[in-house]
Amino acid sequence: MDKGLLAYLLIPLLSAVIIPFAAKNRPKLADILANVTLLAGLANLAWLALRPSIIRGEFADIPGDGLSLLLVAAIYLVAFCVTFFSAWFLDEHLPNRQAYYSLILVSVAAMCGVVTTTDFFTLYVFIEVLAVTSFALITTDESSGGIEGALKYFFLTFPASALIIVGIAVMMMSLGGLSFESLRIFMAADAPAGTVTFAAALMMLGFLIKAGVAPFHAWTPDAYQGAYAPVSAYLAGIVTKISGVYAIIKLATLLRFFDGRAQAVSEMVMFLGMFSIALGALAALKQTNFKRMLAFSSISQVGYIVLAAGLGTPLAIMGAVFHLLNHATFKTVLFLNSASVEKSAGTTDMDKLGGLEHSMPWTSWTSIVALLSTAGVPPLSGFWSKLLIILALWESGLKTYAVLALLFSIVTLAYFMMMQKKVFFGKKTAAAESSPEVSAPLLAPVVLMSALIVALGLLFPYFYTYVKMVAERIIL
Amino acid sequence: MNIILIPILLPLLTGLALLLISEKTKYLKELLGIGAAAVSLLAAVNILLVHPAPLHHHWLGTAISFTLIADNLSAFLLLAVSLFSLAISVYSFSMPNKGSAKWFYFNLLMTQGFAAGAALSDNMVAMLFFWEGLLVFLYTFIALSQNTHAAKRTAMKAFLINAVTDLCLLAGVTITGYIAGTMSMSDISANKLTLDYGWSLFAYVLLLIGAVSKAGAFPFHTWIPDAATDSSAPFMAYVPAAIDKLLGIYFLARASVYLFTLNGTMQLVLMSLGAVTILVAVMMAFVQKDYKRLLSYHAVSQTGYMILGIGTLNPVGIAGGLFHMINHATYKSCLFMTAGSVERQAGTGELSKLGGLFRAMPVTGVCFLIAAAAISGIAPLNGFFSKELVYKGTLDTGYTVFFLAAELGSFLTLASFLKLGHSVFFGARPEGMKETKEAPFSMLLPMLTLAGICVAFGFGARFPIEWFIAPSLAGMNIETGLLWGFHADKLYFVSVIVILAAVMNHLFGLSAGGGKPSKSSDHIHYAPVLKETYALAERKVFDLYEQTMDRVVPPVSLALFKVDRFFDWTIDALPGGVASFFGGASRRFHNGSYPLYMALTIAGAAVYILLAGGLK
Repeated sequence: MDKGLLAYLLIPLLSAVIIPFAAKNRPKLADILANVTLLAGLANLAWLALRPSIIRGEFADIPGDGLSLLLVAAIYLVAFCVTFFSAWFLDEHLPNRQAYYSLILVSVAAMCGVVTTTDFFTLYVFIEVLAVTSFALITTDESSGGIEGALKYFFLTFPASALIIVGIAVMMMSLGGLSFESLRIFMAADAPAGTVTFAAALMMLGFLIKAGVAPFHAWTPDAYQGAYAPVSAYLAGIVTKISGVYAIIKLATLLRFFDGRAQAVSEMVMFLGMFSIALGALAALKQTNFKRMLAFSSISQVGYIVLAAGLGTPLAIMGAVFHLLNHATFKTVLFLNSASVEKSAGTTDMDKLGGLEHSMPWTSWTSIVALLSTAGVPPLSGFWSKLLIILALWESGLKTYAVLALLFSIVTLAYFMMMQKKVFFGKKTAAAESSPEVSAPLLAPVVLMSALIVALGLLFPYFYTYVKMVAERIIL
Repeated sequence: MNIILIPILLPLLTGLALLLISEKTKYLKELLGIGAAAVSLLAAVNILLVHPAPLHHHWLGTAISFTLIADNLSAFLLLAVSLFSLAISVYSFSMPNKGSAKWFYFNLLMTQGFAAGAALSDNMVAMLFFWEGLLVFLYTFIALSQNTHAAKRTAMKAFLINAVTDLCLLAGVTITGYIAGTMSMSDISANKLTLDYGWSLFAYVLLLIGAVSKAGAFPFHTWIPDAATDSSAPFMAYVPAAIDKLLGIYFLARASVYLFTLNGTMQLVLMSLGAVTILVAVMMAFVQKDYKRLLSYHAVSQTGYMILGIGTLNPVGIAGGLFHMINHATYKSCLFMTAGSVERQAGTGELSKLGGLFRAMPVTGVCFLIAAAAISGIAPLNGFFSKELVYKGTLDTGYTVFFLAAELGSFLTLASFLKLGHSVFFGARPEGMKETKEAPFSMLLPMLTLAGICVAFGFGARFPIEWFIAPSLAGMNIETGLLWGFHADKLYFVSVIVILAAVMNHLFGLSAGGGKPSKSSDHIHYAPVLKETYALAERKVFDLYEQTMDRVVPPVSLALFKVDRFFDWTIDALPGGVASFFGGASRRFHNGSYPLYMALTIAGAAVYILLAGGLK
């Protein structure tokens, strides 16, 4: 456990405990407490990482491996955007307002645990905590879709937990320890891999299921579509990425994919990543529901990260980490926008929507920024991460994957343009007639995230030094 | 600033400035254009007299040098270009049919600037730059001269023909530069290329195509008669009659004697090209029924003499070709000007509707007579002397057949001008033209000037030869003997016989055509064999451009369209269809069925575990 970052885990947990008591008769206090907790954490992180002296020193003074800090920042950022959005989005009479914020803060704590832990068992525990809070969050509005989604999420990811625990058991038996460091040392030595690799492969499979990589993706569309609107953004933006994708990247570096150890697992992970990209993108092309399309897009984008992680070279890991962060920004924007559209027009069925750009210009424009970033259009941040991934593939001689990855980012652009056209452009439909722009506080998080997308793209050189530092520390 | 830049930059800048001037201002645009042309002429005179230092600007490092050099030939050409620009801009001052004054003067000045640049460029790349610039303004000049569909169509025809041949020139210049290792013409001339092997022969032929097409020789001439009907008289007097001839023949001379050393075969090719051009065009000219159209065919025909002269490759012939070039520009410009003023005063250019205008328009008539006599080679006007030089050069090569062809061309030229002059200026005046008056002074002045030059270069043929032609040849390292002077030798008597024959032919035609001068060519027009040939020619069967447009372009464009549809389909419909198929399949698959999803997950996990366990 990285103790330097322990406070980021404990403080939200503390708030989560306080909220049900303190805000029992004052529901608004729950909003305030949750937001203040997360904002304070963000301010602290900014002080830690963005001081001029730190930037000048090329982030050499960042404690730990840097990746944890980066992901903690992403967690806090998305969580803060979602809670801020929720504070104005939640219905006044929602019965479990306090529980909602408590659950979010607990899941923030769990995610921080996931990214700061240094052994597999703790990782497993936090991931399960995260899963439990997610089930509860999906059903926030107690709709039938939400309950169906939660059940599917629970049952379809249940094999993952089983596989991970089996993997941990096998590893305990064969390796004699569960810390990341022992696995790293074992893989660096020239001992025959055998059982240890198999154990890691089982865990990898569990994380692949948790990440929603095809063909284990079936729970994602239903869960994201059925979930309470802000929760979709939270789930898609960060939760499933931390519970699955982060662990895949971590495991990929520990298994030393880059120097050819565990070749079979590496190849399978890459294949599944590519398969996800293709399946998600092609399925997204034909969706008629805004949120469901975003869910499939999420599968596709996760595929890019998994593909890069499976490759495992430093450049690919950089691309994967950066794309993980970018995914958090643009997918949060798009899901929050879908929530705004749902609140304003009453539906997310794209066949019923149209012409919203006139009444909801901010929502429309932030969607454009986010979708262009997803499709990898320069100079937005998504361009750089995809570029890194495709470059890494090309350099390693995997030219087919590189070309396919490039082609499917065109398909990404295609389905998002279709989405933008159906929802925001064109003639106003009946549903869009009485749909005013949502209030400024609901726009603030998406505008902030969009600004971040542009800023990360334009200030890429600074960010590159950071990500490079991260990749060097976690690989060497 | 080097004075050598003035004849190029001043017209270009003035032309651009003209575009800023309101359409409503009177005379301002005209006066600006005339002023720029006049200053350029003065600069050109100065350049001819003092030969300023060459101007070098390197481009692309030292790979391509933008070099302007005023050697004897270039300076002479520059003077001619500037002179005709001034004459035409004065002439156009009160010409109503020239189209919008702003655009007319813009095009005129642009053409002048680019022509001056092409004449002065020593580097072939720089010359190409100016040469292609002319192409642009050739199009706009014709397209903007009349607001009709026909004008646009002819402009496109002129543009396409010249664009294709300019591409040949471009290829030729590239290959020449590659073979010679330099793009500078003066460097190449120090070590001339020969036609001994394939690439250099190819390069020369490409250069030749570019040059003779600019000059308007057969078979690249077909846009000129069309332009005669579809554009204005000043344009005809300026571009096809003067500028194009000057530049085309200039570059032909450069390529044939300055850059390359030609052999006997190429000499024959050139002379044949000249002779064919003379005969084909003059046959067509003879039967025309429109003033400008008749002149335009002569403009083509006369090019043949120049090509013939240069093709002889002996100093006398080359001198004759160059001399004929300047003479032709003078009298043909003058003739087009008379056509313009007749059209302006009488309202038509159709020969059958005109007649007896000499009394009404005496100055125009006199100018016409002088210029027509000059073009027909009647002593002692300038055309006589240049043609004599060409004839003499042709005879010196020993190929008498070309001499005979040239004389036949002379005969038909005179015959057609007898017909033209008789129809327009003599005979009975039609009822509607009783009130016709002389053209205004601004139109008469340039006409008189040019007619005066015709006379002066005739009686004083030694001066242009000593001042311009001989130095030009000397500049190209060609030794010349005595080129001037009147000799009552055999050639002179042949020309007298030709004149008599033409007059008799005209009288015969008159009586055959029932006394109507405009029908005096009918006995040849409707002669057996010729009748059918002319009919085919009028249906444009021999027009390479029209035939290409009618026969080749539609099937090719159809084929390209089909290919394009195919590519369109492969990048548009095909991926969309495939993606849509897979998307639809995957949408149908995600039906929300829990058992299906579970089965999928477990099956995927099973395969994964088997593979991870080492199963291959």
